[in-house]
Amino acid sequence: MRSLVRARSLVLGLVLGPVLGCDRPPEVVKPGAPSTLSPSHGVVLEDTTPKQDVRLLPAEAYMRSYLQLFGGLAPVDVQARARGADGAQLFDTWDDYLSALGFPDYRNDLPRGTQTNAIMVATFERLGVALCDRALEHDWKAKPAPPPLKERVVFAFDEPAAPADAKAFAPRFDVLHRTFLGYPAELAPPDRVKNFFELYQGVAKRHAAPGVKSRFSPDEAGWAAVCYGLVRHPEFQFY
Amino acid sequence: MDTRDTSRRTFLKALSGAAVAAATPLRALTAMAATAAPNDGEFFVFIHAAGGWDVTLWADPRNEKKGLVAPASTENTDTSQVRHWKDAPLDGATRTFEPIRAPRGGQVFGPGIGDLLDMADRLTVVNGLSMNTVSHPDGTAFSATGRHLVGGRAPASSIDTMVANELGREQTFPAVSVQYPSSYVGDDLDRRCVPLVVGSIGTISRTLSRSGIYDSEDDREAVTALLGKEARSLAARSEYPDVMQGMALQYDSLRRMLGSRLQEVFSADGLKKAHPEFKYAARFHGASCVNAAFAVEAMKRNVVRCVSFACGGFDTHASNYRFQAQTQQEMFDMIAALLRTLDATPHPTRASAKLSDHTHILVVSDFCRTPQVNIGGGRDHYPNNSALVVSPRFRGGQVFGKSDPEQLLPLKAKRFSDGERAIAPPDLLATFLAGFGVNARKYMRDGEPVPELLKS
Repeated sequence: MRSLVRARSLVLGLVLGPVLGCDRPPEVVKPGAPSTLSPSHGVVLEDTTPKQDVRLLPAEAYMRSYLQLFGGLAPVDVQARARGADGAQLFDTWDDYLSALGFPDYRNDLPRGTQTNAIMVATFERLGVALCDRALEHDWKAKPAPPPLKERVVFAFDEPAAPADAKAFAPRFDVLHRTFLGYPAELAPPDRVKNFFELYQGVAKRHAAPGVKSRFSPDEAGWAAVCYGLVRHPEFQFY
Repeated sequence: MDTRDTSRRTFLKALSGAAVAAATPLRALTAMAATAAPNDGEFFVFIHAAGGWDVTLWADPRNEKKGLVAPASTENTDTSQVRHWKDAPLDGATRTFEPIRAPRGGQVFGPGIGDLLDMADRLTVVNGLSMNTVSHPDGTAFSATGRHLVGGRAPASSIDTMVANELGREQTFPAVSVQYPSSYVGDDLDRRCVPLVVGSIGTISRTLSRSGIYDSEDDREAVTALLGKEARSLAARSEYPDVMQGMALQYDSLRRMLGSRLQEVFSADGLKKAHPEFKYAARFHGASCVNAAFAVEAMKRNVVRCVSFACGGFDTHASNYRFQAQTQQEMFDMIAALLRTLDATPHPTRASAKLSDHTHILVVSDFCRTPQVNIGGGRDHYPNNSALVVSPRFRGGQVFGKSDPEQLLPLKAKRFSDGERAIAPPDLLATFLAGFGVNARKYMRDGEPVPELLKS
């Protein structure tokens, strides 16, 4: 019985062996043309879109920026410079504007202002006008001669001999734009240079009209207005 | 009938019943909103009596020793300057005060009520306000917003912001806040309505004053117009345009403010000259009188919607309690003077109407003071409160709510949708909003209007 089973196994092996490919030659895989990358190897771009709205800088941060921009002075010195001794009434004291600028006022138990309001915007104007006017006086109108470029606080370029045209305006505006907003004007939205040039021209023209009294020449008034616009620009106060 | 079907039907019925019950306050609010009178030309004054006032000296008078209550007496109060103090017997030589029944209105007040006594028919007093706090910051926020502080911050907008957002967006100053606990919280608010928070009214005047030595008004106007344009341009390019759009609106507001030359009128000196009827030399609230004068002048010129300010001096833990009654009297005298001035001032937009016909005043405090006098001769913090409303939309001459005669704690005032309970600040604020057709649910998580307080 056992020998019969062995014989049947041998016959089956002989018959099925070639059929099942035991004697087939080894398969050769030839390199072919590279196929397209599988999805997992695709390039995924980094999502750099902002995930939240811009926020107001803390009051201390933009105050420090003011102090730095207008000569690296202490707050009391900036106050003294902005007030001046010429009765111009450009500024009062920091104390008058603390709550309006968003500083917490612990004496009056007023919390920190984290959002702008119309009074804060008005204070930015009051302060910005004072600082720009004094900076222009320092940079361009100092007696006996204006300081060299590297010692100027804001207007670190030569005042054009005649009212600037668009070509003369652009590089000078770029200096101010980089100073206040921290990047070249050519990277700003396309109309910015044009809009500020129109502002400059409008103010200069207004000051050139007969009967206008101002301590600034038409050109100086135009540049001062550009400075007002940049120091109060939304990009200056938000991040 | 299939039992499973029956139980499902029963469940659905119960569910719909619960939904109706849950929606009742909202529906009540909406119905009230629909019937409210038109609200254009309304003005608002919100006053915060900072520190926590002693309600037993005005709204909830106590002149008997009962339970915890130790009434104000000649031992702990300087009565010489309190005009309505009339001695009544207490203990031997110690005298307390005689409560006063208002000749018009009929309410009973303590001696701190001052000149408002003669105007009691215009006053709506809410007693037994449940504060559930004895912390100054928390009580202050709860009174002004209807919410307790969360992590030290107000989690909701204050009443002046809510009202300004509903009724004041187009005004030059939607909300001016002089040391008032104003907060601006929420996504759906107009950024023009961020309260203009200042330490004093003089700040507004100084902020708006400009020197004409270097530049002209037209120059500054051109700069501000350009900045508005820049803000709109940035908003158009932004994923989240709200802040830049808000800035553009605020630049527009600045142009209006400077264009109307308000700085000349809103200096403290200018206001004092224009309104000599207020007592600027008063000992406790002389400075607040400038705020009241500002409110009148700004409403008369129709440049403001809400004026909010704080009157301090009520936190009398020690012997300074001797002046609590005088402090109250001065504040209520100021409010009475404000009302008289409003009576005499024509409304800026409604012909033949007085300003007082459309001005609404809400006076609140952090909480009240303990019924017992402490060993320092003062009173400490206590989780009960009162509030005062002077508004043509509210029923004058009434006192709503009450407190325990022995412990001065709030008692149940009425049946609200969540059961019988004391009235609380969110209910008062919701009622105030409902009086002007504003759906309080838009701003407030809690609170249910109390129709009994409003004129029908």
